[in-house]
Formats: sequence, C-alpha cells, structure tokens
Amino acid sequence: MKIRTRRSQYAAVFAALALTLSLAACGSSSSKKSSSKTTTTAASKTDTATAGGKLVGLFKVTAGDCAGGAVTAGSYFRMVQSGGTVEAGPFISNADSTCGDKTYSALTPGTDGGLTTGKYQPQPDPPFDATKNGIADKIVQPVKFFAVGFAMSTNDKDPTSGTSVPTPTISADSSGKLTGDVRAASVAWNGQQFNQGAPKPDGSTPGGTKVLEGTYDAKTGAYKLQWTSQIVGGPFNGFTGVWHLEGTFQKS
Amino acid sequence: MENRASGARRWTFVVALIVGLGLAAAPVAFQMFTRAPKGGDMIDAFRPYMTNAKITRFQRDMRNIDAAMREARAQMLPALSDKAQLDRAAVDSQFASYAALDKQWKAINADMSDMLRTMHRDLGDFAAVDALPPFKLFPWFFVLPGLMVAGFAGWGLVRSRRRDAPAARSTRAPAVALIVLGLAIVAAPVMFQMFTRAPKGGHMINDFRPLMTTTKVQRIQGYFLVIGAGEGTIRNQMLPVLVKNGSTPAGLAAQLPALTRFSHDWPSTSNQMAPMIGAMSDNVDNYLAVDAMPPFPLFPWFFVVPGLLVAACGVIARRGSRAEPVQV
Repeated sequence: MKIRTRRSQYAAVFAALALTLSLAACGSSSSKKSSSKTTTTAASKTDTATAGGKLVGLFKVTAGDCAGGAVTAGSYFRMVQSGGTVEAGPFISNADSTCGDKTYSALTPGTDGGLTTGKYQPQPDPPFDATKNGIADKIVQPVKFFAVGFAMSTNDKDPTSGTSVPTPTISADSSGKLTGDVRAASVAWNGQQFNQGAPKPDGSTPGGTKVLEGTYDAKTGAYKLQWTSQIVGGPFNGFTGVWHLEGTFQKS
Repeated sequence: MENRASGARRWTFVVALIVGLGLAAAPVAFQMFTRAPKGGDMIDAFRPYMTNAKITRFQRDMRNIDAAMREARAQMLPALSDKAQLDRAAVDSQFASYAALDKQWKAINADMSDMLRTMHRDLGDFAAVDALPPFKLFPWFFVLPGLMVAGFAGWGLVRSRRRDAPAARSTRAPAVALIVLGLAIVAAPVMFQMFTRAPKGGHMINDFRPLMTTTKVQRIQGYFLVIGAGEGTIRNQMLPVLVKNGSTPAGLAAQLPALTRFSHDWPSTSNQMAPMIGAMSDNVDNYLAVDAMPPFPLFPWFFVVPGLLVAACGVIARRGSRAEPVQV
C-alpha cells in the first residue's frame, strides 16, 4: 500500500516536472517566426475554350494615345483613391505618366502584343529587377508609377494570395457584348504583388471591383474592354485599379 | 477530528479544481485563441521594420526630403522665375503635385518624424515582446497547466472520498503534484522573463495605439502619394523646364544637390516605405485584437497568482494528510 502511494507520488511529481520542462522548452524564443502564408482553396481551371462565344486567343493591345492630355484612344490604367469611385475619382496622379493628364498611364503592347485568353502570361522569376521594378512584359510594357515600374502578368497561382486561378476567359454574345474572368491578372510593383483581377481570386468583387465588360466587333475584331479591381491589403489597400484595353482580337 | 481534517482537505482540492478550471478557461474568456495568433502575425509583419538600421534609414530619408524641399524653395523656384518667368502662382497652377507637396511637407515631415521617433523608441520593447514565446502558444500556457491542476485536484478529491483506504495516504500524491505544479506555474513567468518583457509589450502597445488606426494608416498612404507625386513632378516637369531654358543636367545636379539626391533616392525610399505602409495597413485589425487582450503587464500575474493558490492548496492538503492519524 505504501509502495503504491510512493509510486503515485513519483508519477505526479514527474508529470509536474515534465510540464515545467515543456514550458521552458517553448520559451526558447527568438528564432522560428516565419510568416509563411498558406495557400487557400484552388479554383477550378478552365484552360481551353473554343466553343460558344468564348474568344480564345490574343487581345492585341493598342497603345494609349494621350496627345490631348487624357487618353482618348487605346489602352490605359488609372487608379482610384481609397474611398473614391471609378466614375468620379479622385484618381491618383502618376507624375511618371507620359500623358498630360497624369491620372492616366498609357499602356503599350508587351512582347506578346497583348492579353491572351486560355493561357497564362506569367511573370518571370524573379519578378523584379534590383531596384524593385516589375519586369513582366508579355502583356503590356512595364509602366513607371511613382518612379518604379509596374508590370502586369497572369499566373496560375495568384502571387498575392497564393490561390490557384483559371486562365483569363473572355466571351462575346451575339450583340458583341463582352464578359470575362480575369482574376489571374496581377501587378508587380516596388517589390510587392497586387492582384488586379476581376473578380478577385476567391470569386468576390469587393468595393470598386467590377468584372470585365466591353464590346467586340466580330467583323473587324476590334474590341474595347474594361475591368476594375480594388486592391485588398498592402500599401494601396482600398485603392482601385481601372484597366482599359483596346485593340483587335486575334483568334489562336 | 478525522472528519474535520478530511473535510478541509477536500476543500483545498475543490479550490484547486476551481483555480485549474479557471486557468484553463481564461483564454476562452479573453478570446485568446483568436487574438493571440493575430498578435503573432503583427509581430511577424513588423519585424523587418523594427530595426535600428531600417528606422534610422527612414529618418535619414525624411531629412533628405526636407533638405530637398528647402532647396526647392530657395534655389529651384527662383531659378524657374528667372529663367522661365514662372512666378509662384504659375508654379502652383502648372505643377500642382509639387505645390501640394510643398504645402503639406511641413505637416507630413512632423507627423512621419514623430511616428519614426515612436518606432525607434520602441525598438527595445518590440525586441522584448518578440523574444516572448510565440503568441499562438499563449492560450495553451493557460489551458495545459489549468487542465493539469484540475486533473490533480480532481484526483485528490476522488481519493479523499475513498473509504476503502486511508484518506491521508491516498491524497498525498495529488497534494504533492499540486505543490510542484503550482510552483512550476509561478516559475513560468520568471523563466520567460515576463516581468520585464510584458510591461515593455504593454508600453509598445500603448505607443502604437495612435499609429495603428485606419485613419492614421490612410493618412500615411496619402503622404506617400503626395511625396511620390511631388518628386515625380520635380524630376519630370520642373527640372526639364530649367534644362529647356539653358541649364544643363550636370549643372542642375551641382546646383541642386539635395533635389538630385531626393530623385535619385526616391525609388529606393519608396521600396522601403511602401511595404512598411502595407504592413501597417494589413495589421490594423491584428493590432486591435492584441489591444483588446488584458494589459500585458498583468500577464505574469495571471500565472503567479493561480500558481501560488494551487501550491498553497497542495501544501494544506499535504499537511492535512500528515496530521491525520493513519488508520490500520
């Protein structure tokens, strides 16, 4: 009986000491604080699209023409300040814009000539040069924005969230009305990644995010399209990118 | 005599059981399971910026911009007036982004410098908090010992009610366990240096309160845009006007060294500044979660007080078992 009690005492003391030691082990503090972000659920991929009104191919980008101050024809980017609207602004003034109206940043075609549907146009690895300019140049040429180049790409995994996203898709109905999903669109700028898709990678359309819409002339291939994407998180949290592309569609 | 002793023993186990369950439940009451990991995320996000090198670099950048803005007023504006006949009103209307920066710079500089001073002052506090065990483990430092205390207390309680064995002997083991466990809980904050680190954490949380609001972060976003747009206007529009009117780029670089340095350094400043603003913006909610937790300086006492209570219960139970005559 006495032996049993002693054993119990030893067991209890051992358990308490074990707790003390485990607490101490947890206390070795400074190292181990990586901020790995987990990837979220993978969206289903729609890699090819040929049937129906889906336009699979290259949306060739016509460079923005801003001889008159604002961009009056062609492709451009604008950014709405937090709390503003796409219709009324206020828009950020980009002093590095080549346009007279600095709220417009004219876009010029990249090495692929424009935006491809049914296929990604991924950013290079690494996506930045030594001075943190984005260097992806397939869709459009990098644009100086606040002295640092921003570069657009479409990637199977959204660089901001790590979420798997489908390739861009754009469809036209019989009247030439365009709709689409460009959630894979992303911008690299200043060492940071900004999802600039619509909808966002999780399918949502927060704030000023508005899905792609536009017009398409099946005879000439001429198109005009626009989408807006609110930045979620980071230094421009709440700001909204306005993407306006014009040009001709070339079926692949 | 025996009944009184065993009754007192039972009460000590009941008290220890309540303390243990209270300790285990504390993280739920304080929503630590959701709040503490957010604190950890915030510490992770700020770690790259809470260094002496980074903050002194930002402070140097602010001083350089200040020098550039002074030089712009003292040298560039008179040069624009002399060479291009652009008076102040014309400058303000043609170069609105520069005018906005010039107008707002004093306030921007004061606010940003104040923020950087606060951050610099809190470097030691941040390091102390960063050296604490990972935030996400915090709730478990309450739950695990709490459950163990409750377990030992429950064990003692059950044993003290047994009629088939001498109660005194059978409760000795749980009583000793409670003493050891109680002392371990008391020792934990000492081991983690919580008495020095936790108040520093509290100090930092207080200092950051005015900085970590949506309004403040949006204001700093705005500063970034004003500075960036102003710099771009000087570089892309105003200095070219001087070149067009007879100055050479090399001559301007020599004449306007602070402005030249501003434009040269701005991309690099922007590289550093933009992610820091991003970290601030992304962590406003995390900060609020941490701020909603009990005050940091109290944390060591959340261990010491229950630990002492548990140890005292163990001692009382142990004494009772020793005093009680053993029945044969």
